[in-house]
Amino acid sequence: MSILDLTSMGEPQIDVKREIIDRLERLQDEIPEYCYQCAKCTSGCEAHRLLELEPHRIVALLKRGLIDEMVNSDIIWTCMSCFKCWERCPQKIAPVEILFLLKNYAVALGKQIPGNYTAALQSVLSNGLLQDIKTVSTRTGEAKNRKDIGLPDITKPTDPAKFQALISKIAIEKI
Amino acid sequence: MNKPRIGVFVCHCGTNIAATVDVDKVKEYAKTLENVVVSKDYKYMCSDAGANLIKESIKKYKLTGVVVACCSPRMHEHTFQRVSSDGGLNPYTVEIANIREQCSWVHDDIKESTDKAIKLVEAAVAKARLLQPLIVSSIKVIPNALVIGGGIAGIQTALEIAENGHKVYLVEKTPTLGGRMAQLDKTFPTLDCASCILTPKMMEAANHPNIELLTYSEIEDIEGSIGNFTVRIRKKARYVDADRCKGCGDCAENCRLKDRIIDEFNLSLNKRSAIYLPFPQAIPLTYTIDPNHCLMITTGRCGKSPLCVEACDADAIDFNQKDEIITINVGAIIIATGFNLLDPSMIPEYGYTRSPNIITTLEMERLINSAGPTRGEIQLLDTKEKPKSITYILCVGSRDETVCSWCCRIGCMTALKHLYLIREKLPDVEINLCYIDIRSYGKGYEEFYRTARNLNVNLFRGRPSEVKPTKNGIIISVFDTITNKLFEIDTDMVVLVPAVTPREDSLELARKLKVSLSSDGFYLEAHPKLKPMDTATGGIFLAGFCQGAKDIQDTVAQASGAASRALTILSKKELEAEAYIAEVDEELCSGCSICISVCPYQAIDIITEDDKKHAKVNEALCMGCGACTAACPSGAIQQRGFKDKEIISMIEVLSK
Amino acid sequence: MNKKTIELAFYPGCIIQTEQYSYELSLRSVLPVLDVKLIDIEGFSCCGEPLKSVNRMITLVLSARNLAIAESKNLDIFTPCPICNLALTECKKILDNDEKMKDKINKFLAEEKLTYNGTNKIISILELLHDIISLDSIKRHVKKPLELKAAVHYGCHSIRPSEIGRFDDSEEPKKIEEILKVLGVETPWYPEKLDCCGGLLNMNLPETALTKTGEKLRSIEEQGFDLMIDICPWCHRQFDGKQKKAGETVAYNLNLPVVYLTQLFGLAFDIPWEKLGFNLNLSPVDTLLEGR
Repeated sequence: MSILDLTSMGEPQIDVKREIIDRLERLQDEIPEYCYQCAKCTSGCEAHRLLELEPHRIVALLKRGLIDEMVNSDIIWTCMSCFKCWERCPQKIAPVEILFLLKNYAVALGKQIPGNYTAALQSVLSNGLLQDIKTVSTRTGEAKNRKDIGLPDITKPTDPAKFQALISKIAIEKI
Repeated sequence: MNKPRIGVFVCHCGTNIAATVDVDKVKEYAKTLENVVVSKDYKYMCSDAGANLIKESIKKYKLTGVVVACCSPRMHEHTFQRVSSDGGLNPYTVEIANIREQCSWVHDDIKESTDKAIKLVEAAVAKARLLQPLIVSSIKVIPNALVIGGGIAGIQTALEIAENGHKVYLVEKTPTLGGRMAQLDKTFPTLDCASCILTPKMMEAANHPNIELLTYSEIEDIEGSIGNFTVRIRKKARYVDADRCKGCGDCAENCRLKDRIIDEFNLSLNKRSAIYLPFPQAIPLTYTIDPNHCLMITTGRCGKSPLCVEACDADAIDFNQKDEIITINVGAIIIATGFNLLDPSMIPEYGYTRSPNIITTLEMERLINSAGPTRGEIQLLDTKEKPKSITYILCVGSRDETVCSWCCRIGCMTALKHLYLIREKLPDVEINLCYIDIRSYGKGYEEFYRTARNLNVNLFRGRPSEVKPTKNGIIISVFDTITNKLFEIDTDMVVLVPAVTPREDSLELARKLKVSLSSDGFYLEAHPKLKPMDTATGGIFLAGFCQGAKDIQDTVAQASGAASRALTILSKKELEAEAYIAEVDEELCSGCSICISVCPYQAIDIITEDDKKHAKVNEALCMGCGACTAACPSGAIQQRGFKDKEIISMIEVLSK
Repeated sequence: MNKKTIELAFYPGCIIQTEQYSYELSLRSVLPVLDVKLIDIEGFSCCGEPLKSVNRMITLVLSARNLAIAESKNLDIFTPCPICNLALTECKKILDNDEKMKDKINKFLAEEKLTYNGTNKIISILELLHDIISLDSIKRHVKKPLELKAAVHYGCHSIRPSEIGRFDDSEEPKKIEEILKVLGVETPWYPEKLDCCGGLLNMNLPETALTKTGEKLRSIEEQGFDLMIDICPWCHRQFDGKQKKAGETVAYNLNLPVVYLTQLFGLAFDIPWEKLGFNLNLSPVDTLLEGR
């Protein structure tokens, strides 16, 4: 017995689907199988108008087990994390959370991920923060740093080596 | 006392029992038990032949008790009680050993299930040895009925019962009969005018010699049980003498608060006076003073003198009227209290409170109705202009786990009905309809939907995420899963099709009546398929929407059904009382009253006899729930048919 | 009445302390007036929320780590950034309800001799101002009521997802409005109020992010608001810092002052604008400073 998607020749990946759904139930207590495709999520999706993300379709593909199709597509990286889909879902499903796990899965499979994410990860690894301290400009064009403004030193991990060790350990760990 | 003589009858139930239980072995084992004088088996014990076998054995072996090893007592206990009675035994000396549902159906191993069946039969025999004949008392039935709710469900029920020659008290909370249906314009799928078919029914109910109409009245409290309820009803003061008021309306015309009070019948689409008639065809045609607003009632004065009094030629207004409590006795009660619509502000993203032009289907119904606040003109509520575009959103709060998980069962058809009615009045208006599924499940409904599809309507299969009222128009974005495209609809008027909810006071009434609510808050039926009109409480029945969402067709059908169910009680002079009721051993009882505090039916009193206090069970009120027997610290209250020693004898066998 | 000073661990998060200095400065100037003492603590790291797409586990561990640091100082943790607040709150919700997960995370934290027990509270900017300090206390300090008409922007993470427990109602938030009313600011509802700034798309699609930002600013400006108020450094970076670029992206000449709620507090409390970081706003806020 088998089910075959003749447009992509893809077959449902039931094991991966099960694993993702288990995690969703564990982390957020949501059950994607309840989705009845009313598309309220897509109607209000901030990323849909500009980037054509269709959250209801993401849920449908997950339900069907067509995971590869999603992790191989850039579309999963277009979510703006506005959380409207989760907030307004009449069946309490969170497409945004499904997308987080699909992106995690793509990363774990070594798929191409948007460059800024790599940069952000690098930055967190090296100094514990998302980006370096910036010198900013005033409205009149003067350059100012924290000290000029009278702000104290920033807070960041005191022992970078230990912190790096910690992050590297997690990076190879599954949820 | 003579030794008990017990007969055991083991049923095969075709192969239902015989396939997993060695029936012959069970029968043979039973023969070895003390006091068992005969043991037989048969293919279908509940058949005529099986019944004859039992009857003949009772006579032949002079049995004092019968054990039938068969299906659940819920299935055939009554059958075998009747059979034993025909055979000359007291019906309460029959004991059932359930070897089907609790044995053959749930086990596969023949040896184990046979052993279990033997144990069950042995336990039943142990109890049968101790069973005593019971004489059942009877309850005199009061042949009158109470119907709560004066909408189409209540009217239909009342008329059916009244036509059968019984007196009916029809209690309605508001000043008039009519209920929700009176607010509707036309009805689906025939498009006949709601008031044209409802008003004659209202008249018929009002004029029926067997119906006593109690409008503007509420249930105060209820005592008693099936066949004999005592109900106290509060007739609220109308401050208008119903015998004098001719319904001319001069009072309302002259009221100082004219056009200042929200008109609940027209749902805030217009304003009324403090003295009012809900709608022109109201029955009774008697004006009512709104005690929450009338200046005379709230402040004690109204200018120099109340203008309504001056205007009333019939001298009908009476500010001294007081609420009146009346007591009635009835044999059966039918609940027909209807439903509410969900307040759409519960789904804030649909903007109900943010624009006057976002309305509900019921508000649209009043706009379409020629007797409504706009005399049937569909207009925008702010500018009073005709809309150029009307957009419907279905399932507002329905099928939504965060609001109402159930389907409203009337929303799709109501919206489709509006399509026809709007097209008639505004042939060129743009009509959009956003739906998830169109549920057109009734007779003629799918045909109605097919025709509606050709009425120049834009159907969008998707649920909008939000409705944004802007300065220029109302903007709705909806992803249509049919074309796979996101559409932005710029519209003038939005009609929300709200979920349906129980009446706000349904829990309060449920407590008074001692009936249950289902998890959705509607009244719970005794069985969803086989007893949809009964409650678990004897003598109390359900009609219409109060039991769960339904349209007018189903409501009327259920109302007639509920009437018929009530008549099965009302048509009898006497009812057999519950046999398995509690009884008090007066010697053991200390009169501690714990039983009284746990009895849900107020069936126990403490009385003093020969200087000794003890509990006494009112046999007509006791429903045999067993709460008192469990609570009694001295074991003085025992339930007939389930006495401690009877149960213990079974436990002894089973734990051997 | 002598009110007790509230002491809180100050968790600024990455964006505030590496570039959104006007938020930090205005917080440090305004909160002491309201008897709140911010305690600076060494060793905090990123909250992990922006990395949730890469590895949810990293987010959980980083959040738990920051909570554990505050816990070690016996202080509740104040998170002015709604995104950090969401990460920390979600982490707390998961760990407090899943012993196994908590043990697992604590094994990681042991590396730095930290333990998460879940004993401290996470306090957002709106809870602090509206619920803890209270409108009455704020009112006592208002010296110059501001007669302005403001478009309030809560930012997605402040109000959604309500499953995780957010600062205000997800569809009809009103805390900022209630606070602003005390400051004398009028806050009419507008249809785009709950829309996203696009900020998180900066990670991969900055152009699209700007379109979102520009569209929202344009409709606010068209509706005649004097200014926009926000409480999130990511949103502010879009609406204020990138307003010019956003205008170019949507081909509209944007001129809308955008200020942090705390900056506006400072003006109403008559704190000199230099101490509120007004020179760092890149949107045209000068009109607000006239006569000061």
